[in-house]
Amino acid sequence: MTNDEMSPQESGTLIYHLRDVVKTRESEGVAFRLSVPSLQIAQGEKIALIGESGCGKSTLLDMLSFILQPSEVGSFRFRPKLRDTKKRKKKRDEPLDIKRYWDRNKQNTLGDLRRHHIGYVMQTGGLLPYLSVRDNINLSRHVLGMKNDGSVEHLAKELGIHHHLNKLPEDLSTGERQRVAIGRALAHNPSIVIADEPTASVDPFAAEKIMSLFLELVEERQITVIVASHAWQHIKRLELRRLAHHTRRSEDGSVTETIVKG
Amino acid sequence: MRPFKTLRLATRDYLHEWQMSGCFILALASVLGPMLVLFGLKFGIVGGMIEQLVEDPRNREIMPVGSGKFTAAWMGELRKRSDVEFIVPRTRSIAATIQLKSSNHSKIVSMEVIPSDVGDPLLSELGTGPTELDSIVLSKSAAAKLRVEPGDEISGSLVRRFKDKKERAHLDLKVAAIAPVSAFPREAAFTSVKLAEALEDYRDGNAVPMLGWDGNIGSDSRTYPGFRLYAASIYDVADLHEGLVDLGIEVRTRAADIELVQRMDRNLSMVYWAIAIIGLVGFSLSLGASLWANVDRKSKELSVLRLVGFRTGDIMWFPMIQALYTAVLGWGLAAAIYHVAAWAINDMLASQMDVGQQICNLLPIHYMIALGLTMGSSVIAAALAGFRSAKIEPSEGLREI
Repeated sequence: MTNDEMSPQESGTLIYHLRDVVKTRESEGVAFRLSVPSLQIAQGEKIALIGESGCGKSTLLDMLSFILQPSEVGSFRFRPKLRDTKKRKKKRDEPLDIKRYWDRNKQNTLGDLRRHHIGYVMQTGGLLPYLSVRDNINLSRHVLGMKNDGSVEHLAKELGIHHHLNKLPEDLSTGERQRVAIGRALAHNPSIVIADEPTASVDPFAAEKIMSLFLELVEERQITVIVASHAWQHIKRLELRRLAHHTRRSEDGSVTETIVKG
Repeated sequence: MRPFKTLRLATRDYLHEWQMSGCFILALASVLGPMLVLFGLKFGIVGGMIEQLVEDPRNREIMPVGSGKFTAAWMGELRKRSDVEFIVPRTRSIAATIQLKSSNHSKIVSMEVIPSDVGDPLLSELGTGPTELDSIVLSKSAAAKLRVEPGDEISGSLVRRFKDKKERAHLDLKVAAIAPVSAFPREAAFTSVKLAEALEDYRDGNAVPMLGWDGNIGSDSRTYPGFRLYAASIYDVADLHEGLVDLGIEVRTRAADIELVQRMDRNLSMVYWAIAIIGLVGFSLSLGASLWANVDRKSKELSVLRLVGFRTGDIMWFPMIQALYTAVLGWGLAAAIYHVAAWAINDMLASQMDVGQQICNLLPIHYMIALGLTMGSSVIAAALAGFRSAKIEPSEGLREI
């Protein structure tokens, strides 16, 4: 077990600090349990979550992006990097108690946090079919009321999709759509980007290209990243910290438990 | 700020999915359109008949049959009743004629004199009446024959046999107004009661000092053979009728016609409401179901919006805005369908109706009510569905296949 108390310097740089977070799910008599006795992610860290599908990667990522409420929470603290210096002075720069928001069902506060600090790349889709590539990338900026400063075009260029800017998602290949999704997750300069197997639906060659491009962009912007993948080979070269986890099944096969630590 | 963003996104989505949106609009219009036609028919047919009944004073007229002996005092009592709108005495019909001649035309026209007064229901549209001894209101056909207009001076005359001599009296009259055809279809002159009495007196050989006509001194106790009586509304006709019959006065009314139309109105209304309620329930269900299904279909996209940080309230607006588009456009299409149908129906039956009468008719307020109902039920259905989808955890919505 990791100790609960941390030295002040260490806790000062932690973007996530979770303790005893559990999510249980049950479907057709088979229970699934994800248990996180302790998880600490520092600002700017690059984290990889490797494992077979169904082991609970998505569940953890959803909880980290506040779109899934854990069944039990010891503590769940989130401390985004504040960009605006004025805001920093006004608001005390202290970790936010996400558990409290969940307990009080403050979905809108969680939504606000997500809007400001988190970028999320889904495994597939997640683009709005009625918006052009440009507007899809810009969506995360648009909801924050950020002015168009050319960063969408710049990002699109870096992602190699600038000639598709005016097209609709339906006119793009799967790989291109994933690039758009990555663009949207980065466009508003979040503190953290969470990617749930962003290249799982793409052929291995393209997957590797997209993954390294993604991590390059994240690196460039010094953003914390948590990426889930089932293939370690992709990730190994990219110098990510791998979260330790192991999965076990109960003898009768009715309960699957995954424990994540890190 | 963000509601506006939701508005933009909802609009883009609605346009992007124009085929789907078109289906929703068509589905709505195909239920609402026939409802409008149905209501238009009900309102046009029964409403038209009732309006005609209520508005046409002839339907409120109570006419004595034969001639009696009615005194002014008796009529004064009758006038006080709240269900009586108007009553004036009638002079003997044989004495109630006058010969008129205008300076515009050489022809002398003899016509019926109808005693009238302020508040005569037949002349209510004019806002004036023959109040003075020398003022006269001509029916449309009478005015046409004499070629006169309101304000014109005309001369009247009448003859009598008095002391074995044929005499003719003259008087100058002024055309106060011309009554519409609907008031009285034949040639007639509406005069004050005083003038009608004067004409009768003169013919009877009595003197009329007001007009400088010589003759015998008539008796003070005047009786009238009849009266012109109008009930306050068509619904009072039956009671008045009965009351007069109880007094031994035989009268003729349109009570039976009125009763018939009223019964028809009740029956038709019942049939209409039965159909309308069934239609309305079907309409609400189909609209609600399609909007609900639409929100369900969109739950993943709505979850994406929540993922990028839209608030629950903003998300709720999304289906509501789209529902409003469907409501307004569907209503517009339904109104268009109604217009075509109403035009066809009215055109088809135009030959069997009075000028200006419409068998299928809706007032602007009816359109507004239809719009209000449609928008209201759309927003409620969409809000319920939106609320449900907002309640789903975003991660669930996102993981849906």
